[in-house]
Amino acid sequence: MKKEPRSSAHRIADWLLDRYVATSYREEFLGDLEESYEDRKASRGKLVADVLYLFDTVHLIYGFSYTNSNYPTRHTMFTGNMLRIAWRNAIRQKQFTILNLLGLTIGIATCLAIGLYVYDETTFDTFHPNGERIYRVNQPMIWGDWNTQFAATGPGVAEALREDVPEFEQVTRIYNPGEITVRIPGKDAAQFMESEFFWADQNVFSVFVFPFLKGDPATALHDPNSLVITERTSRKYFGANDALGKVVEIKVNDSTYIPYTVKGVMADIPLKSHLQFDMLGSLNTIPLMKTGSSTWIWTIFATYGLVKEGADITALREKIQALPPKWAPATTERVFNQKFDAYLAGKKWTLYLEPLCDIYLASSPSWHRFGPSGNRQFVIIFSVVGTLVLALSCINFMNLSTARASNRAKEVGVRKVLGSDKRLLVWQFIAESTLYVLAATIMAMLVVQLSLNAFNVLADKHLDLLSQLRDPWFVGVLLIFVLALGALAGSYPAFYLSAFKPAETLKGKVRSGFKRSGIRNGLVVFQFTVSIALIICTFFVQRQLAYTSTMNVGIAKDHVLQLHYMDQLGDNVEVLKNQLSDNPAFTNVGLSYTTPPNVWEGDRYKAEGPDKPVVDLGYLRADEQYLPLLGVEFVAGRNFDPTNAADKHKIILNEEAVRILGWGTREQWMNDSPLGKHVVQAFGKEEKLEVIGVVKDFNFNSMKEKIGPLLVMHRDNNLHWSYHSGPLYLSARLNPAVVQNSDEMQNIIDKVQKLVKAINPSVVFQYSFMDEEYDNSFRTERRMGAVLNIFTLLAVAIACLGLFGLAAFAAEQRLKELGIRKVMGANVRELVFLFSSEFTRLVLIAIVLAMPIAWLLTDRWLSNFAFHTPIEVWVFVVAAVSALVIAGLTISYQAIAAARTNPVETLRNE
Amino acid sequence: MGNKTIGEFEELVLLAVCILEGNAYGITVKNEVEKHSNRSILLGAVHITLYRLQDKGLLKSELAGASAKRGDRRKRLFRVTRKGMEYLRAAQEVRQKMWGLIPRLSTNA
Repeated sequence: MKKEPRSSAHRIADWLLDRYVATSYREEFLGDLEESYEDRKASRGKLVADVLYLFDTVHLIYGFSYTNSNYPTRHTMFTGNMLRIAWRNAIRQKQFTILNLLGLTIGIATCLAIGLYVYDETTFDTFHPNGERIYRVNQPMIWGDWNTQFAATGPGVAEALREDVPEFEQVTRIYNPGEITVRIPGKDAAQFMESEFFWADQNVFSVFVFPFLKGDPATALHDPNSLVITERTSRKYFGANDALGKVVEIKVNDSTYIPYTVKGVMADIPLKSHLQFDMLGSLNTIPLMKTGSSTWIWTIFATYGLVKEGADITALREKIQALPPKWAPATTERVFNQKFDAYLAGKKWTLYLEPLCDIYLASSPSWHRFGPSGNRQFVIIFSVVGTLVLALSCINFMNLSTARASNRAKEVGVRKVLGSDKRLLVWQFIAESTLYVLAATIMAMLVVQLSLNAFNVLADKHLDLLSQLRDPWFVGVLLIFVLALGALAGSYPAFYLSAFKPAETLKGKVRSGFKRSGIRNGLVVFQFTVSIALIICTFFVQRQLAYTSTMNVGIAKDHVLQLHYMDQLGDNVEVLKNQLSDNPAFTNVGLSYTTPPNVWEGDRYKAEGPDKPVVDLGYLRADEQYLPLLGVEFVAGRNFDPTNAADKHKIILNEEAVRILGWGTREQWMNDSPLGKHVVQAFGKEEKLEVIGVVKDFNFNSMKEKIGPLLVMHRDNNLHWSYHSGPLYLSARLNPAVVQNSDEMQNIIDKVQKLVKAINPSVVFQYSFMDEEYDNSFRTERRMGAVLNIFTLLAVAIACLGLFGLAAFAAEQRLKELGIRKVMGANVRELVFLFSSEFTRLVLIAIVLAMPIAWLLTDRWLSNFAFHTPIEVWVFVVAAVSALVIAGLTISYQAIAAARTNPVETLRNE
Repeated sequence: MGNKTIGEFEELVLLAVCILEGNAYGITVKNEVEKHSNRSILLGAVHITLYRLQDKGLLKSELAGASAKRGDRRKRLFRVTRKGMEYLRAAQEVRQKMWGLIPRLSTNA
């Protein structure tokens, strides 16, 4: 048919159509329209048809819009409209939009960072193909508290398991000797200190699967003097050359080096492994393994078992309990000359099976010698904090959205009148909040990506967001998270708003029912309760950290320079010691075999005489200058006397040791002094050790623990089995008058290094400061404290954002009320007070709620420490006051602005 | 809307679709209903009803049959479903049953 020129009515109709009817309808719609137009033109003339065309269009649009939601394409018209409305709303109320997005972004970023951290911490050791069949065998801490699990066993445990328990496919042992010296044979042999050198049974790679780059994992550790190294180590020693077949030498003592041949190069150990080693030597190289392999008290081996598929672990746990009574007696009888039962004295030698993936986060045993161990407590704390911060920001979002609802009540009314049903409105609001969450999530990911480096440094982790993004699971979880959070955060406003009755909202009634929203106030109270509780907890964490770093440990730990591994110098260490003693920069110089706070060695002793209890004493071997250098106070007797040759076989005890040896406390010494009495090794054949002095208790371990009993032995006591073995430390107290700044300090250290190198150029020079070592024992707590600070700050910031938004909203709502009050004679101060009091009341309720919660949490955390800061009331007061002040400042901006508005402005526009 | 019965106008539209058999779309349905009921109805109302009946599963539709009068546009042709027929019959049965129960003489009590 001929195309007729279109009238203006046509054009308007087409324009309406373009705007309101989706493309998939258009054909049918226009067809019907045109046909009825043609019919009408034929029957009633062109003019009537033209006029009625527009009318038809309008009611047809209505006809097409009112269909059921099952109709697939029907939403498109509304979706476009919704997006537009959402965008307009966002633009119109910039302040709210920014507050909303900011709060959500902070919340999601925090949660994301914590999520990455928690995911990282909880997925250690999950890369081994047989991981779920690998168990570590633990036993009681037989040298101390039998109730705690110990991650190491004697080598005999593995032998017994192999012999008696066929359910184990493989049982392997790993032994970490501590730092050792490695050199490449040659003229100018370079030496390296390797702290990640372990020995392992030849079957270690049948239990743990670490990919090999060169060599055969099945045979690499078969022969004595074999070595497997990581790629990184291979580069360090041999550069680009093929390491396979090369030889390195490992130091046994001053004059003896044992050659090892590289039989395998493996890929670097993944970071998320609780076993971290660079070099793995064949365990059968060690001569002691041949003679002492069946012993049960050489507790330095980690024993891992790979159980057969389908093995019943519960039954297996039961079964292995038969091993200690069967195998251990040989050891106790030989070493302690005690029957097994007498040795146990009622305690139980339990063997525990700990699943591989539990090892990293296990709280008992809380550490092992082979790599990093996590802290389940931190993971829980961070998870809780992350969830809370996220909850806070969701609450913000919900609160602000509902607060804004009154502004949108009319929109809802109009939509309802136009035939939008409740479901569609709910959908609209949820979709809108999902869009917000999506935008906030994208921004949060940016924020996290940008700040992840700093977070990694702070938390000592290697988190990576980008690599996670390649994981479909992570992306899936993130998407679900966006949708769920969008639905959750949008649900309250959605159902709240969509339930409005159009007749009322259009009349403007909605505001009255809106001011006293109990839920909204409840949410604000919740936010502030969490924030205040966090403030208080953080406060105590900081107090505890400060307390421990300033605590009097009983010795002067500042200004002590410690040179490590001075046993490398052999007897020449005395030369160095004399040189340093002559230097005015040092006031004292002493030698010792361990240094506080890391005095971990101990042995079993008893007081001489019949029926004396056997006790575990920590021991420290040091020369006569070391105790004065520490500034230890003698409460009885004297220090070692260098002029008295017999003194080197005598000992000094601390008060705690005297007490548990059964010689009483200080008051009782008046009548019965411990001096001159003898201590003997519980079951050994060694000399009696005469007590010549008693020192006051000092913290020779971390301040987390109570001060234990300590025995100080002379370093030259050649009758003790540990004579001249182990790493030797040379400690020197700096003279603060001479060494005043870090430059001078560095000078001194350089000078000392030169002296050391002059004696023996191949020595590895390593040093530390004693106070730093003490601080380091609180490193994890310090980290947690720093991270917690940040999260608390964020939580408070989010709560304030929310409060600010609500106050702004309330100010807007109450402008007229305030205006009228002002006209009636109220002054600004009264109005500000009136306005603030409502919010202040909420904060006060939150304070009341937060106090007991914070007290309980703090009390529980502090009870982990043997020495802890008291729970003081003033901290609670400070936290409460600061919360009030912060909230007050947040509100007052709005309050003052509202109160100062000229009533003419607000009342006029009626 | 979950009701198993249909309204009066819905019934008329459904009947019109049956009558038109294969040529039922907005305008023909409108004309058919107008013709039999002697009342003027809006095209939009017909559309709403057609769609609603389709959602209830009483009608099905497809796009077909362009004509020059429509500017070569296809129309949505509706056809009654088996369920639609059942509904119609049920409605008629109810009426007939009730008609049958009316006494010959109306009582004014």
